[in-house]
Parts: sequence; structure tokens; C-alpha cells
Amino acid sequence: MSGVQIESLRKSFGAVDIIRGVDIDVNEGEFVTLVGPSGCGKSTLLRMIAGLESISGGLIRIGGRVVNDLAPLHRDIAMVFQSYALYPHMTVEKNMGFSLKLQGLPKDRIAEAVGRAATVLGLENHMQRYPRQLSGGQRQRVAMGRAIVRNPQVFLFDEPLSNLDAKLRVQMRAEIKELHQRLNTTTIYVTHDQIEAMTMADKIVVLRDGMVEQIGAPLDLYDNPANLFVAGFLGSPAMNFLPATVTAAGVRAHDGTILAPLGAGLREGQSVIFGIRPEHVTLGSEGISARVGVVEPTGAETMVVLHVGDAPVTVTLHERASIRPGAEVRLTAAPGKGHIFDAATGRRL
Amino acid sequence: MTMADTTQFLSRREKIIANLAVILLAVMTLLPFLWFVIMSFKPVDQIFAGVSGLFFTPTLENYAGLVNERFVRSIWNSIVTSTVSTGLALVIGVPGAYALSRAGLKRDRTMSLLILASRMAPPVAFAIPYFLVYRTLGLLDTQLGLIIVYLTFNLALVVWLMRNFFDATPRELEEAAWIDGASLWGTFVRIVLPMSIPAVLTTGMLCFLYSWNDFFFALTLTRNSAMTAPVEVVNFMNYEGWEWGKIAAGGTLIMAPVLVFSLLMRKYLVAGMTAGAVKG
Repeated sequence: MSGVQIESLRKSFGAVDIIRGVDIDVNEGEFVTLVGPSGCGKSTLLRMIAGLESISGGLIRIGGRVVNDLAPLHRDIAMVFQSYALYPHMTVEKNMGFSLKLQGLPKDRIAEAVGRAATVLGLENHMQRYPRQLSGGQRQRVAMGRAIVRNPQVFLFDEPLSNLDAKLRVQMRAEIKELHQRLNTTTIYVTHDQIEAMTMADKIVVLRDGMVEQIGAPLDLYDNPANLFVAGFLGSPAMNFLPATVTAAGVRAHDGTILAPLGAGLREGQSVIFGIRPEHVTLGSEGISARVGVVEPTGAETMVVLHVGDAPVTVTLHERASIRPGAEVRLTAAPGKGHIFDAATGRRL
Repeated sequence: MTMADTTQFLSRREKIIANLAVILLAVMTLLPFLWFVIMSFKPVDQIFAGVSGLFFTPTLENYAGLVNERFVRSIWNSIVTSTVSTGLALVIGVPGAYALSRAGLKRDRTMSLLILASRMAPPVAFAIPYFLVYRTLGLLDTQLGLIIVYLTFNLALVVWLMRNFFDATPRELEEAAWIDGASLWGTFVRIVLPMSIPAVLTTGMLCFLYSWNDFFFALTLTRNSAMTAPVEVVNFMNYEGWEWGKIAAGGTLIMAPVLVFSLLMRKYLVAGMTAGAVKG
């Protein structure tokens, strides 16, 4: 069993609480991403799992064993850093074989394990090079190679793709996912990029201010966000939010348009936020009145940013649009696709 | 990324002025050395011969005059005291600087500053206490006595310089090594130290220079058997007359190893002095 269980985990720096009672259960072989805005504590949490940060309270179990007070080398984990952290004075081969050398394995077994990892990662022709002689993508592969030769119980990734350009990031994303499918090792992956989180993970943990906002499968979180924060954080472009009021006729926008029928859990007079994803809004002759702000054609899709009163609304159109900025249009939300949140608490109703 | 050539900000006239200033400064700085080196190859009677002394047949007679037991012993003393004190300062100081940089102690900056403070005081402030203690301990006129003095001063320099270097190196490499299974000491020896070679060499060079060039402590704390070369050269100024030829030859010999050493390690010196200055 090589899952990771985190129970009531806390971390404080002096009087400042960084991690405030986090519970996460990572099953064996699962790929879990920790996402959240900068400063939410996701990297600190990962470093606590790795043993690089002390724990102020709670428990961390790896493979059923409490590791709170164990040094990193005794946790049977491997970590890939954002800066790659390759040893600059060692060749690719030595970088990858360093941990095995420390374990005291014979040279032929080290060479065999390193060779196998190099084949998996396409690094066979770079083994005698130094990190400074490699491109960003190659360095990233070496960092991953260093992690996989050890065959650890858990892989930890700390924003490993942030230093790569957009194209390489997409390529490496696919490679990491493929690697996980092949090795099936439990993986915890920190990112601030929600696209990475959505595309790679079996399970996403959304963090804010050191607390878990929601845990679930990527599409579950996308379709059923627990609150305004998760709804706004996942998805690109982000979900649109319109202030509204609950009336007997349904959820009414400020211009009087009914956005959604009256549902269970809503009471008349209640202030709510109506959330709708950009792909669930259509432009037509009926609905809420809006003014076109910016039109962003991306080729496959066209993003139109509109203004409904003061609130910006983004619409994703799957066809080429000939709308001009400044034009007056009307919007309709696809039936059943809206999300209603309590305006005071942000909770989904 | 390459940096723009800063001379492109200067006009043609300013460039000429700047170059002339550099040449003038170089001549002003190097002329005494050149004069000194030339003097060491002159016959004794032509050393102060004025303009006619510019044309002479080079001779090694001044150097030949140095080959006597006293001067050879003084060079040996200089080599032993400088090398051993530099080596010890690095062996003790580099791990100490690393510990100060990484331990996260409260007031560790103050501690570093206090360590450096020993170098801020004028040497004469230490001379009398050292002399009295050494007289009691029987360390006067011994190589060990000089090594201890140089070590105390060099240790401060090593801790200060190397601590700043370690502060500027990323900790992620060490964390990666811990995760790979290295111990604290193993990480220092296998990862930190090999990365620090340029900085260690630069620091070692500065320590060696301090010990090699020291005149004051060698003069106060030695008499005969542990006397170092800089003091021995001064002995050529005695009541029988000042032996300028030998002084020049001795001075040149003292200068030579430092110069050769610096030129050989130029690559490391430049790398060490700029290490950590910018993100690589």
C-alpha cells in the first residue's frame, strides 16, 4: 500500500498559519494535483510531505507509516523541483544514478537502472552531458529520470513545468501523464495552472489560504463547484458571475431577466450570484442586454468579452464571429447549466 | 542573454580619454614593480646610475647572493606558514560558513559580523597580547606561532566570504540531495563543496596572500628560526650598508609565486568573485 494520508495537518511560521487543518486521502497509484492561487500553501504542503518542512500539527502517512518525524531520505519519495535542481557538476548519467550510488548499489545495477530510465525519457544520447549543456525540456526530463530510477512509493512534483515555454509545457504534460500511466506510482503534483490540474489529475485538491476548498475528480469540480472560489478558479476562461435576486418567478438579473427557475433551497428576496460557464452562454435576440467590449479570435474559437452593467461576461463561440466592439447584443444562458451561489457565503445553493 | 557593450554609451572623445586614463593608471601602478624587477637584474654599481643605468647587461649576481642558508630557510618558513594556515582556515572555515548560512540561527548576521570584527582592528592591537602569551607558551620564533596568528585572521575572512557565497546558492540542490538519500555531511561533501570550488579557491588565494605578504606579525613574533621572507629581505638593510640588489632580487622572488599563482587561477578567481551575483 503506497497511498498518502494527510490528517488535520497544520503548519505555522510564528503567529502566521500557513496550513490550517488539511485532510487529504491519496489512494495508491492515484495522480492528485494540488491547485490554488499563489500563497495558498500548496508548495508548503508538498514540502511537508517530502520532509523538507517541519509539521506543526496533524499526521502524514506514506504507505501506512506515519512519517512526521522521518528525514526525507527515509520517506521513500522522489521529488521533481520547479528549478529542476540538477547537480551542476555531474553529468546526466551521474545525476540520475546519484541516489542509487548512495544506496550502495553495484555499478552495473546503477548503469542498468539509469539506462532503463534514460530509454523511457529519450535521454540515451545525452548521458555524458552536463546540465548546462541541455535545453529546458531535457533538464526537466533528467529531473524526472532522477526521480524514476529510484522506483519510490510516491512522486512529488513542485510546479515542474512553470519554467518551460507554452509548447514544451503541453508536450511535457502529456509525457508526465504517460509516465504515470506506465509506472502507476502514486503522484502528488503541485501547480497553479488549472489547465495542468484538469488535464493530468485523477483527483484535484483546490486550496485557498491553507485550507481545502474542495476535493474531487476534475470534471466533477468543473461541473459541480462547491463554492464561488472553486467555480471561479477552475476553467479558462473563468466562469461568469452575475449578481441576481431570488423572486417568485425565479432567479432574476438586475435588468429583470429571469436567469433560472426557482429551485429547492432558494428563498424569495435572497441575494445570490448566478454563475455560468462561457461555453454555456449564447448570443441572440433575447435575454440580458450587453455591450461588446473585446473580441478575441483564437482560430478554433472566438472569445467575446461583454459588459452586463458593470459585470464582465465572457462568451466562447465555436464559430467565427463578425461582432464589433461597442455593439449591443443579448445573452441567453443554456437551461440547466447555471450555478447559483449564496451572495453572502459564496456557497453553492 | 548577452549584456550590451557599455562603451557604446561613450562618445569617441570620451573613449579616448577613458583609455588614456586607464593607461596612465596602469603605468602609475605597475611602474614601481617594473623598476624593482629591473633593479634585481642590474649589477650593484649600476643600480643608482641615473640615465646611464638604463643600459646595462642583465646579471643574476643578486639572485646568486640570495642562495644562502638564511634566505632559503625564510622562503621555506613563508611557504609552510602560508600554506598550512590557509589550508587550516579553509578546512575549519568553509564548513563553519556553511553551518552559519544554513542553520537559521537567531542573530546569525550579528555573529558573522562579530567574526569579521577580528579583522577590523589594527594588527598592532593584537601584537602585544600575542607576544606576551607566546613568550609564556614558548611559541615565539616558531612556525606554529605564526600559523596560529594567520589562522585567526584568515578564519574570519573565510567565514565571512564563504557565508555570503553559500547564502547566494540555491538550497533546492541540497534538498534534492537529501531526498536522494544523502546525509547532511554527505550533501556538503558531495554537492555543496564541488559547486563551491571557484569560491573556495578565491578565498584561499586571499588568505594565502595575507599570510605570504605579512610583515608585521613575522617581525614581532619571530627572531631567527621562523623568520619569513619579507622580514629576511629587510635584513639586507643593515649597519654595513643597504644591499639594494639583494633587496630587489628577494622582493621579486617573494612576488613571483603570488603572480604565477594568480595568473594560473585567473579563470577561477573571476568566476569566484562574480559567483552568485546573477541568476545563471
